[in-house]
Amino acid sequence: MSKILIVDDDADIVEAMRLVLEKRGHRVSIAGDGNEGLGKARAEKPDVIILDVMMPGLDGFEVARELKGDSQTRSISILVLTAIKDKMGFDFKKESADPNWLPVDDYCDKPLDYELLLEKVDQLVRHKKN
Amino acid sequence: MFEDTDFRLRLTEVTHFMKSISEDSTVEKKLIDRVYWLTRLRWIAILGVVATILTVPRFFPVSLEMEPLCWVAVFLAIHNGLFSWLMRHLQGRQMYRAIKALANLQIFLDLTCLALLIHFSGGVENPFYFYFIFHIIIAGILLSRRETVILATYAAIIFSAIIFGEQRGFLHHYSLLGTFAVPLHESPAYVLGVFFVFVSTLYITAYLTTSISNRLHERERSLTKANELLAEKDRIKSEYVLRVSHDLKEDLAAIHTCVDPVQKGLTGSLNEEQMNLLSRARERSKQLIVYIDALLEITKLKLTEKMEMSSFSVADLIHEISESISSMAQHEKRAFEVQMDPGVPSMKGVRVYIQEALLNILKNSLKYTPEGGRIILRVQSDRSWLRIKVTDTGMGIPADDLPQIFTEFYRAKNAKTLLKKGTGLGLSIAKKIVEMHHGKIGIESQLGQGTCVSLEIPLAS
Repeated sequence: MSKILIVDDDADIVEAMRLVLEKRGHRVSIAGDGNEGLGKARAEKPDVIILDVMMPGLDGFEVARELKGDSQTRSISILVLTAIKDKMGFDFKKESADPNWLPVDDYCDKPLDYELLLEKVDQLVRHKKN
Repeated sequence: MFEDTDFRLRLTEVTHFMKSISEDSTVEKKLIDRVYWLTRLRWIAILGVVATILTVPRFFPVSLEMEPLCWVAVFLAIHNGLFSWLMRHLQGRQMYRAIKALANLQIFLDLTCLALLIHFSGGVENPFYFYFIFHIIIAGILLSRRETVILATYAAIIFSAIIFGEQRGFLHHYSLLGTFAVPLHESPAYVLGVFFVFVSTLYITAYLTTSISNRLHERERSLTKANELLAEKDRIKSEYVLRVSHDLKEDLAAIHTCVDPVQKGLTGSLNEEQMNLLSRARERSKQLIVYIDALLEITKLKLTEKMEMSSFSVADLIHEISESISSMAQHEKRAFEVQMDPGVPSMKGVRVYIQEALLNILKNSLKYTPEGGRIILRVQSDRSWLRIKVTDTGMGIPADDLPQIFTEFYRAKNAKTLLKKGTGLGLSIAKKIVEMHHGKIGIESQLGQGTCVSLEIPLAS
């Protein structure tokens, strides 16, 4: 069983993800915005953080940079959720190849494909354990 | 959602600025066009002068001073040639600044030449002096009222100088009608009469022409303004549609995200009835997402004013597209074939847009071609154009639907019967993209036989 932190400001999407992840046997905690997410990540040291990009206040990019820049939280795997291709018209796959620009471990497009999400979370957990 | 009023304000400022520029430049552009027209007209006038000088003495009992008249015609030709050369060599801003002065100078020289022609061919005896009126009409069309009145005054002064000078004997009189005629030019009453009629005609013409042309200019300006206002309103409407679609999509995506795991059994198993209804709900929300995506796409294209064009390999793009379409075609049991000429070059444009346009057309063909049918993507190019044809053996489009097939949200009758879902935006998006690249899109179709969509896009748009 692994610890997952979901950081997203959309309560409905968070609830759906929580149910799916818990059914899969993960322990899930929730943060409603970037600041809360940073706090919980430091306090709870989850295995994986599922991080939304577009959030009011501190956005997902900033949270990711903050966490990966801190030696205490660097080892936490980050999976970002993005609808960015939709909003800005660029292909996330190519842009995210540069780890300095956006230091994340993986990403999922919105609307979510749950099978893919679960597979990626499992992969990240396995990777961390190794 | 509507918090960026600041951005909106800035945008309005920019639009106003652009409008004031475009207003000025349309007026200047019109003037340039008319000065070109005047230059062309002058060549005809010169030919007319030469023809008159040569033919009139043959048919009428008149005597003409050939030499000075020919010199005036030569001078006219030289100055018109010079103006034509100047107009070709002045470009852009320089041209705009010079054009008014040029138009004034041209008409001034025309009046001078006409005065000389009249003087050397009989002065007041020559009825061609009424041709001065033409120049005042031209001035009234091209120039302001003030400039036209100044030129009319100049015409009155030089014409009066000739007729009074000849009458008083200060100027030599070149008799047109020879020694047999009544010496009209010596009669003070006749010369005075001609003077009054001529001068009043000049000023009345100047007044009438400038009144009409001012009113026309006013009308043209208000039409241009109305057009710009409409375009601006259309843009605001598109922005509104964009915002609303974004908001709708956000909620829809959340609905989909909540329903999806339940329907897939990720939160536990469901009985058959529950599963049935949930599948329907999920399918409908998915359809709506596809629809809103297409709406977002076309609205974004409409709002795009400037595109970042870059050079990309057409061959690579076609390979990429055919890979994804091939697998879809294979899955749906349709044959898909690519016929690409060797050496199709790179093109300048927005790669993702061109890709989007081609995918829309190809997916349409796949959708409306029955199992076992065939879709051919043909890619050719010449030195400056890329030509692409997508031909299918599908159901075709009824002839009366064909003219509207690129209209937003329009779907052909048979397409609606076959497939209830469909946005009616796929081909509109493709058309918009092709037009943004200064290209053309066309469609031919035979009901029950198939459809062929053809694109022509300049390689360097």
